[in-house]
Amino acid sequence: MKKLIISILALIVIISSTSLFQVSEIENAVVIRLGKPKEVVTEPGLYVKLPFVDNVRYFDKRLLNYDAAPKGIIIKGKKSIVIDNYARWRITDPLLFLQSVQNIAGAQARLDDIVYSELRREMGKYTLSEIISSKRDLIMENVTAESKSKAKSSGIEIIDVRIKRVELPKENEQNIYKRMEAERNQQAKKYRAEGREKSLEITSQADQEKTIILAEAYRKSEELKGEGDAQALEIYADAYNRDPEFYKFMKTLEAYEKIMDNKTKVILSTDSELWNMLQTK
Amino acid sequence: MGEIRFDDLEDVKRFIKEIFYGREEERNDQDEPPRGGKPKKASRNHLKGGLGGIIIILFLVFLGTGIYQVGPDEEAVLLRFGQYSKTVGPGMHWYFPNPIGKRYVVKTTKVYRVEIGFETVEAGPPARYQNIPEESLMFTGDENMIDVDFSVQYKISNLKDYIFNVRDQYETIKSASESALRQVVGSKGIEETLTVGKEGIQEETREKLKEILDSYGTGIMIIGLQLQDVGPPEEVMQAFKEVANAREDRARFINEADGYRNDIIPNARGQASQMINRAEAYKEKRVKESQGDVAKFIKLSEKYSLGKEVTKTRMYLETMEKTMPGIEKIIIDPKLKGSIINLIGGGVEANEKINN
Repeated sequence: MKKLIISILALIVIISSTSLFQVSEIENAVVIRLGKPKEVVTEPGLYVKLPFVDNVRYFDKRLLNYDAAPKGIIIKGKKSIVIDNYARWRITDPLLFLQSVQNIAGAQARLDDIVYSELRREMGKYTLSEIISSKRDLIMENVTAESKSKAKSSGIEIIDVRIKRVELPKENEQNIYKRMEAERNQQAKKYRAEGREKSLEITSQADQEKTIILAEAYRKSEELKGEGDAQALEIYADAYNRDPEFYKFMKTLEAYEKIMDNKTKVILSTDSELWNMLQTK
Repeated sequence: MGEIRFDDLEDVKRFIKEIFYGREEERNDQDEPPRGGKPKKASRNHLKGGLGGIIIILFLVFLGTGIYQVGPDEEAVLLRFGQYSKTVGPGMHWYFPNPIGKRYVVKTTKVYRVEIGFETVEAGPPARYQNIPEESLMFTGDENMIDVDFSVQYKISNLKDYIFNVRDQYETIKSASESALRQVVGSKGIEETLTVGKEGIQEETREKLKEILDSYGTGIMIIGLQLQDVGPPEEVMQAFKEVANAREDRARFINEADGYRNDIIPNARGQASQMINRAEAYKEKRVKESQGDVAKFIKLSEKYSLGKEVTKTRMYLETMEKTMPGIEKIIIDPKLKGSIINLIGGGVEANEKINN
């Protein structure tokens, strides 16, 4: 009895392990009968096959990564650049895929051919700066579209081809650095020159203001002085005009007092009013 | 449905104990009380139970491999015969063991991080980073090169998509991030990138990356994208520093000029005030003095008009008295001509002697 149960169990295990197969959510399967593809299974679940006769090959149906090694490309103007790109793809027709590229490694090689040649063709039309900025989207779109249609025959759908890096060969990179350096130096010079310009503008304006302030002050002060002089003159004139004769007499006397000091030598005649008494007496 | 829920580890232990309990009772040669939780140990104890027992135990062990734990930050996607069955949350669970069932347990609340252009060698503190120039050097739109390090934080928003749609999720995100950033930086000039454009670039790249990842159906949500370090490449760093210095110099020149201005303008204003004040004073002085002079004159002239000749003579003599004493005088009678020349000559000589 026990032996029978054991035998039945063993049989179940053997049969189920050789004639059942699973297909997961992440894959498709191709059933191959004696080397010939018989059936493509795209829905996940448990399936039956003939033991030993049928062979099952699985193909990932998720989005797959194609990341090529950076490659040299000649662009417009015979410049050479190094480009690093990647592509997302998936196996949409497992049978076609199996027949044309066999496996993922084969697919990578096929993608290499397709994508590289498309990139080369598309990028050859543009200059470096176009590739970097203005035409980047366009290049990626065109390469994606072209590659897509070419890869279809291998059961592959290319979702997108995207440029990752664009680099220059080492020696050209040095040129870029030199140019950048030169540009920076110019920029530095410009900043300093601007500083000086502004500085001169400020200082000269200040000088100008100073000159104007002083000139204005001069004008005002001279005006004030003139007013003073004029007023004084008027006051004097008013008063002195009342008695010009006395004014002349008094001023003359005052002038004597001021003019004569101890170095003065006066030769006086006894005819003069002060001394005439020396004669007459 | 073949799933039995366990709320914690104790439930599992009890469950296993119950399975063995009946068998332990039948057996007499077993002194040790049953020890649950370790089916392997149990199987060793029951070797004598015969082949059937072994099969049952093996079967139980097989069932036991269906027990799994989902951590508080995790979710599990379950497949039965390769087909999606359900997604379960944290806790202790049982599901069909391999090969019937398959499970993917993934941390879904965790924030994942991709570093591009650098690598955290030590989380620290202090953190240490390793620069990866081939990832961080890129072209700006004006054909200059800059060095950008950035990181992307993401979370799994749809576990099913995450597992079933994309292989190499990490690589996918990394490549897409790099491509997006380079595309955005490629549309900007170096000046903008290095100064004001950082925020904008971050935002734009994030948008672009979201677009790309959504088109792939990655089941990923971008939480953040940070430009960590944006600068010129090592080779031209010096020139860039020089520009920064020049910018400082510009500010300095202007400051100095402002300083000069702030010095001389108030000075000039002070000088101007001084000049005006002096002029004002002069004016007042002239007026006041003239008024004084005039007042004196008027007083004298009043006196003078009282007795003109007398006053005149008196004033004349008074002046003479005042002025004459200090000076050398020579008084000559006009009748004595001839000797005058000699006298003057002698006098001049005498004067010269004094001067010498």
